[in-house]
Amino acid sequence: MTTADESSGSWFGADGKVSQRRGLLFKLSCLGATLLALLLVLVFLLYVANDAIQPFTADSGWLATVAATVVLPALALAAYYYRDSEPSGSVAYISFGLPIAATLLAGGVVIVFRHVISPHGWLALAIAGVVAAAVLEAHARTRTGSALERLAVVVVVPWFALIGIPGFSVDYTVTTPFLGQELFDLTMSVPTLIPSLRGLIVSLPILPTAALSLLASFTLPIAAVAAMHVRRVRESDRAGVIGGVATFVAAGAGMVAAPIAGVAPETGVIAATVIGMPVGLYVESVQRRGEGMAGLAFPVVIGGGAVLAAVLVNALGFAGPELWLDWQFLNSSHSTTPADAGIYPALVGSVMMLTVVAISAFPIGVGAAVYLEEYAPNQGRPGQLVEFLEINIANLAGVPSVVYGVLGLALFVRTAGLQSGIVVVGGFTIALLILPIIIVSAQEAIRGVPDSLRQASYGMGATKWQTVRSVVLPRAMPGILTGTILALGRAIGETAPLLMVGVAAVVRIPPNSFFGLFSAMPRQIYSWSRLIATDFRYGVLAAGVLTLLIVMLMMNASAIVLRNKYQRNS
Amino acid sequence: MADNQLGRTVDALSRRKFIATAGATGALAVAGCTENEASDEDGLSGEVVIKGSSTVFPVSDAMAERFMEEHEAVNVTVDSTGSGGGFENHFCPGDSDINGASRPIKSEEESLCAENDVTPMEMQIAGDALTMAVSPENDWVDCMSFDEMAQIWQEDGAETWADVNSEWPDEEFTLYGPDTTSGTFDWFTENVVGEGGNHRTDYEPTEDDNIIVEGLQDDPYAIGYFGYAYYEENSDRVKALDVKESEGDDCGEPSLQAAQAGEYPMARPLFIYPSEEAVQREEVYEFMKFFLENSSAEWIADEIGYVPSSQEDADANLSALEDAAGN
Repeated sequence: MTTADESSGSWFGADGKVSQRRGLLFKLSCLGATLLALLLVLVFLLYVANDAIQPFTADSGWLATVAATVVLPALALAAYYYRDSEPSGSVAYISFGLPIAATLLAGGVVIVFRHVISPHGWLALAIAGVVAAAVLEAHARTRTGSALERLAVVVVVPWFALIGIPGFSVDYTVTTPFLGQELFDLTMSVPTLIPSLRGLIVSLPILPTAALSLLASFTLPIAAVAAMHVRRVRESDRAGVIGGVATFVAAGAGMVAAPIAGVAPETGVIAATVIGMPVGLYVESVQRRGEGMAGLAFPVVIGGGAVLAAVLVNALGFAGPELWLDWQFLNSSHSTTPADAGIYPALVGSVMMLTVVAISAFPIGVGAAVYLEEYAPNQGRPGQLVEFLEINIANLAGVPSVVYGVLGLALFVRTAGLQSGIVVVGGFTIALLILPIIIVSAQEAIRGVPDSLRQASYGMGATKWQTVRSVVLPRAMPGILTGTILALGRAIGETAPLLMVGVAAVVRIPPNSFFGLFSAMPRQIYSWSRLIATDFRYGVLAAGVLTLLIVMLMMNASAIVLRNKYQRNS
Repeated sequence: MADNQLGRTVDALSRRKFIATAGATGALAVAGCTENEASDEDGLSGEVVIKGSSTVFPVSDAMAERFMEEHEAVNVTVDSTGSGGGFENHFCPGDSDINGASRPIKSEEESLCAENDVTPMEMQIAGDALTMAVSPENDWVDCMSFDEMAQIWQEDGAETWADVNSEWPDEEFTLYGPDTTSGTFDWFTENVVGEGGNHRTDYEPTEDDNIIVEGLQDDPYAIGYFGYAYYEENSDRVKALDVKESEGDDCGEPSLQAAQAGEYPMARPLFIYPSEEAVQREEVYEFMKFFLENSSAEWIADEIGYVPSSQEDADANLSALEDAAGN
């Protein structure tokens, strides 16, 4: 009875001497902060979505039809899942989201094959890559000799398979430093010395059609991955073969069906492959687990309801909402008439710019992080210097983006002499911007690899290089990739650096090479915000913002999926 | 041997990944350079880069859109950087082919261009009626003289409405105007504020004229100026003032007709400056020809809200273009 109050005989604090009010107040204010933050963002998003879609411009008949055919059945089904069958609920959730996400991804792949690399180029690349891999494999089997020879082969073979020795031309005026007196002109040009295997294939007189090329070089590897996956999870060779063949046949069917739907055959191949493979695998996994099968009905009901709604609305003559964000918007370029304006060139520009950003920032960032974490001295004076460097890299991540724009202008346009406003200049500038973020996040990921793994690797006699390559990097890779994708998500929204390097307000033709003039989505949105007509500043701009948000959401979602998948595996 | 064994198995696993990654990286890096440029039936292709004034931007953009309907393979990109920003950062260094300007080129800009062997050609392609506007709630002023505007906008000028005219309310005004890099600012400083004083700096400067409109709408004591096209689009949100050059003159209402007839004192010319070097390229020449031929068309007034250039100006510009291109 030590804690009881002697005089009253009751427990200490039972008369309310210990107040819980402060704690409660603190909890409530935290809740308030959370709600306020969510509300502010949500209100903004709803506001933008309302401007872009304008649901209330539709006939009430249209709204009623859609509610009756799509919304009500979906709600009813959701209520059923919630009450009676929880696993079905999560299956419904994923099986509804997956096709949508896969469709968006397919759109991205179509853009890549239309503007970044042609189907023939990809075919040649794939063949050359396979040949190079075969040569390397053969070399490794026949000659087990010196590491130096091995290194030379590893560098030279892919080089000749993919790049060759291209011709080049130089036109450069040599001047004295500082004073700028011209000394002499250096002008020379060399024709292609040794063409690459890739180049040879592309220049062949007869090539399969674009769709067949994709079927062979794009679908086939994906079908092989699908087959291997099915074989592993089902532990049956036959199931694996069926999975692979089904993927391939679906893509072939897409190629045949595409002209009927009025799109190019290669689009059909890509759509069937990129949408069919993940959806098929998911359905297979649900069926194999035999749990929550009812959830698969959800997307079918919504899809069926949408078709029914479309038929009914057409038959009854109800007008839908005046969408700003529609197919026409995604598929056309800026116009002085708001209703005809679109975002396509900027969308392509953003995709190409991100390609440059990823290719340039990822190896440099990860390389720097590996050095700083694994190799850099951490004791004595050099160690202090490294620490100083690391702090400054973290600081660089906070430098305002417009500063990077000025840096990019000075470095790439004024010093390197590249044309302003082209894809590589924009991409390199943004790459500078996210480089510190990539380095810091990759460092975190590498630091997260337990030291015991490294020690165990050394204990088995592995060298430092073997340990980094085979133990540390694979283990850290999910974290590195997550950090990189999140950084790319920031890169896609940057405007100020693009303004500084001269990315134009209006570009009507998507860039057809990495050295072409381009516009990016945020730049296009910014220029719409300054136009005179109000339709641009509300409708078209909102549609652009929504497009950008969806693309960014997709990237962040893929980062989360990647992280979850690897966390489960390890 | 155990070491080797470890190395070998690890090798076999990661080698493929390494090759795939390296291959994809290298190929993507190179692939971009190999695509060919498309060209349409008349074989015209290439790029035309337009920078410069945000006031001229709507004209250039509409011209670019119409031109590209006929020549699909010519990539005409249009940007609005401000007249001065365009000359200094893009046109004179040789990065752009054409610069839009809402004021004539300055001598220091000409010498900067000359240093880089860029020869600008001045072409007046449209006109604008600069509009002085106030809040719709403002009921004490309908017409202003240049002198009154100068008092409001010059350095160390008036602070309240009553400072300018004792009949006006004794309230401080809020001033909205274009940025100092804008040609509109330069024109107004030179022609209205006058040689006597400089344009004041304690106003809300912005590159975006929509912000001026919003500012005027919200504040009954605000005053600001912008191009006529913005007034036309927002005539229900702000009130435009009539202007007169000096006290004795009649007040002129801002309108395109008045500006064209020379009856509106704040009518100002708009220019584009193609460089003689760029005009040698066929796509730039064809675009300029299209631009000048259309610069006197009626749709410039109907769709953009600017004054089309006169037929004589258009013809003079065209013959200057022919001379420069050497045809």
